[in-house]
Amino acid sequence: MTPLLKVQNVGKTYGKGANTFTALSNISFEVEKGEFVGVMGPSGAGKSTLLNVLATIDTPTTGEIIIGDTNLARMKDAELADFRRDNLGFIFQDYNLLDSLTVRENIVLPLAIAKMPTKAINARVDRIASLFGIRDLLDKYPYQISGGQKQRTASSRALVTEPKLIFADEPTGALDSKSATDLLESLSDLNQSQAATIMMVTHDAFAASFCQRILFIQDGQLSKEIHRGTLTRKQFFQEILQVLSSIGGGVNDVI
Amino acid sequence: MTLFSLARKNIQRNLSNYFLYIASMVFSIVIYFTFVTLKYNDDLSALKQSSQQIKGLMSASSVVLLFFIVIFMAYSNSFFMKKRKKEVALYSLLGVRKQKIGLMLFFENLVIGLVSLVLGIVLGFFMSQGLLMILVKLMGYEVVGSLTFSVEALMNTTGIFTLLFLFTSLQGYRVIYQFKLIDLFHAEKQGEQIPRASLVAALLGTALIAFGYYTAASDMFTSKIWRFFTVLGTPLMVIGVTIAGTYLLFHSVSVFVLTALKRATSWSWKGLNLIGVSQLLYRIRANAKSLSIIAILSATTITAGGGVFGMYYNAEATVRQMLPNTFMWKGDPVEISQNDVLYNESLAVKNLRVDNDLSFFEYTLLKESDYNRLAKFQGKNQELHIADGSTVLLDAAYDERFSHDFTGEDFKLQNGDSFHVDKMYTESVLNFIAAGTVLVVNDQEFAATHAEEVKMQVVGLDNDLKQQAVSQDISKQLSTEQQESFSSVPQSYEDSLATVGALLFVGSFLGLVFLAATGSIIYFKILTEAEEDQAKYAILNKIGVNSKQILKTVAGQVAVIFSAPLIVGIVHSAFALLAFSQLFGMNITKPVILWMVAYSAIYFIYYIFTVRAFYKIVRQGN
Repeated sequence: MTPLLKVQNVGKTYGKGANTFTALSNISFEVEKGEFVGVMGPSGAGKSTLLNVLATIDTPTTGEIIIGDTNLARMKDAELADFRRDNLGFIFQDYNLLDSLTVRENIVLPLAIAKMPTKAINARVDRIASLFGIRDLLDKYPYQISGGQKQRTASSRALVTEPKLIFADEPTGALDSKSATDLLESLSDLNQSQAATIMMVTHDAFAASFCQRILFIQDGQLSKEIHRGTLTRKQFFQEILQVLSSIGGGVNDVI
Repeated sequence: MTLFSLARKNIQRNLSNYFLYIASMVFSIVIYFTFVTLKYNDDLSALKQSSQQIKGLMSASSVVLLFFIVIFMAYSNSFFMKKRKKEVALYSLLGVRKQKIGLMLFFENLVIGLVSLVLGIVLGFFMSQGLLMILVKLMGYEVVGSLTFSVEALMNTTGIFTLLFLFTSLQGYRVIYQFKLIDLFHAEKQGEQIPRASLVAALLGTALIAFGYYTAASDMFTSKIWRFFTVLGTPLMVIGVTIAGTYLLFHSVSVFVLTALKRATSWSWKGLNLIGVSQLLYRIRANAKSLSIIAILSATTITAGGGVFGMYYNAEATVRQMLPNTFMWKGDPVEISQNDVLYNESLAVKNLRVDNDLSFFEYTLLKESDYNRLAKFQGKNQELHIADGSTVLLDAAYDERFSHDFTGEDFKLQNGDSFHVDKMYTESVLNFIAAGTVLVVNDQEFAATHAEEVKMQVVGLDNDLKQQAVSQDISKQLSTEQQESFSSVPQSYEDSLATVGALLFVGSFLGLVFLAATGSIIYFKILTEAEEDQAKYAILNKIGVNSKQILKTVAGQVAVIFSAPLIVGIVHSAFALLAFSQLFGMNITKPVILWMVAYSAIYFIYYIFTVRAFYKIVRQGN
């Protein structure tokens, strides 16, 4: 079976001449369908750059990214936008909801952009809203709901298109621990019940402990990779803490 | 560091931020100064001679202009203050007292005011000289305007704008004292609640506009509304009603329409329609005031311009309608240089007097053969063959509201004879001055009618509008009594141009000013919104909307903001011009449409620029 996401020797440098800054260098890994992968590392290690590059929001300087059987390096700007629309879902730390739209309309948006018929849209929105427990909020505006509810709305929006690959950038960064746990459990459920492939960037060991596999990044390079295997979530959490303390940095970020 | 130097440095460092504000101040001053300079200009007052009405017109226009400038300055000042609320909040947070901040802003305003006043007056001086030459040309005079600096205009402008600057400074003070620190930090986020439509307001708005239109379109001589509010009061009432209606229209009706569109999910849940509608709805309440102002300004501009342009356009037609012959007078022929002469005829006509109870009317009796000859000279393809006892009436001044239509009736003469009126034409072959209403009869009837015989000279020249010299030549040879009956196309044309040309100038001047200002108001407004919306479009891009789609939705939204007030303005002015053309009995459809097209075209250029700038700002967010 071919992997869903294949990253080969990806590098990203900013600036020109003597003033170059290498954010990523020589990163290679693969993600299978149905995996829940975490990316961790200290601040400035290049986590977000990696996610942006994978998510086609940014372009890599070198290397190849293959999602399914599509090579992203050979695509133009407009094609990339269409590709994102059809294959990828995003969850951001600051929700990125449009405050002029209701919760329902925010979730509808990606389907509307994909020109799906209204009836089908309604069915999908209902299903995803029940999954995240926000059915009662559908007609409210973002400024009327709490942070946790906003993040669940954002997650519903990311998942309603049933994307091949879901990218989450610090999704629990702005949430209290209760809301964070709720959200992570929902994502984990989704991963297990529907075999959704999720890739999550986080600096929070607690959030990372919900993943099955974690990639550690340091100074723009892949430094370590651990699997949860048969460990319980708590045991995995301990293991993550150990790795973090061994590679330095990040520990002080832990709750 | 003193407050004054802080204020000065503030301006120096943020020049680009201040640029738009200063530019709009300078713009206002240039316009106003130019206008008052023209008003006080000596050359012009000499030219105007007897023309009191132009003087009155200029005074009235300067009031309109002033009113408009106050709106424009208040608008740009509040736009500017809104952008700076955060800066003010920062000073306050750092512990500067409100009083001091206020003083600083006051100094700042003073510096800006001084700079723009000097700049505006210098620019305004040059502009007024240029415009003066155009004005003189439009009025058909050949006088060279000399460079004169009007001290009166300087005093007037300085006085008015000092007051205005004080007013805007107070506006700034009010902002500082009225708001709490927390509000100041959130200044840009205010007014973002999604509006709910009020049915009462929407119905009221529609009803008010309908009433205004109905009144404007109804015949002012028979309408009860016009009688009730009087001829002076009705236009004011109509304007008031329409302005109120326009505001309610943008405030409520628009919300209804947009909400309905949004609810129609089969349409709105397609592509980016949802974004477009929601964005418009989101801002509509905050925009209602500016959109109404823009609609009203556009309506004013189009009406004024259309009306004046219509009169200018009709000046020649009106002269020709009344004076089909280049020259005409009673009495003997005179010497005319033979250049350009198309015909030079001596006609024998009869003068009919019809008395009624109160007064008498004079009519001219014309032979059928003379009519046919003249009609041919004048290029009218019409030959009359009138039966005995019948007549054809020629009345160039016919107006269906005031004049009696004799068609089919018997026209009784003093001596008891009568003619049956077969037809009536509003195109005569004799000039209205001297001849008046003309009765054409066949040659036998003409000979048989007993009445005072009169000799009339009719002359037709090629290129008649330019034959001033010949006109003066003839006039000199005529006796004083004959001069009273003398009518001349070039002379009448020049007289009407002198009046209408000034009107056209004032109209187009105000029109251009309003157009520039309305365009700028929309431009400022949309770009501020674009800056606030940057993040939204960045999100859209992330969830897979390509640039082409973004450009499309941006163009669509901007198109609505631009076209809504334009369409309302055009419809408003169409009704106003309808009333206008009724009042003056002119057909001004063609010039008005030309004017509307020109206005929309310039407006469209603004639209293109705005969309481009908007799109550029939005792309920067990605």
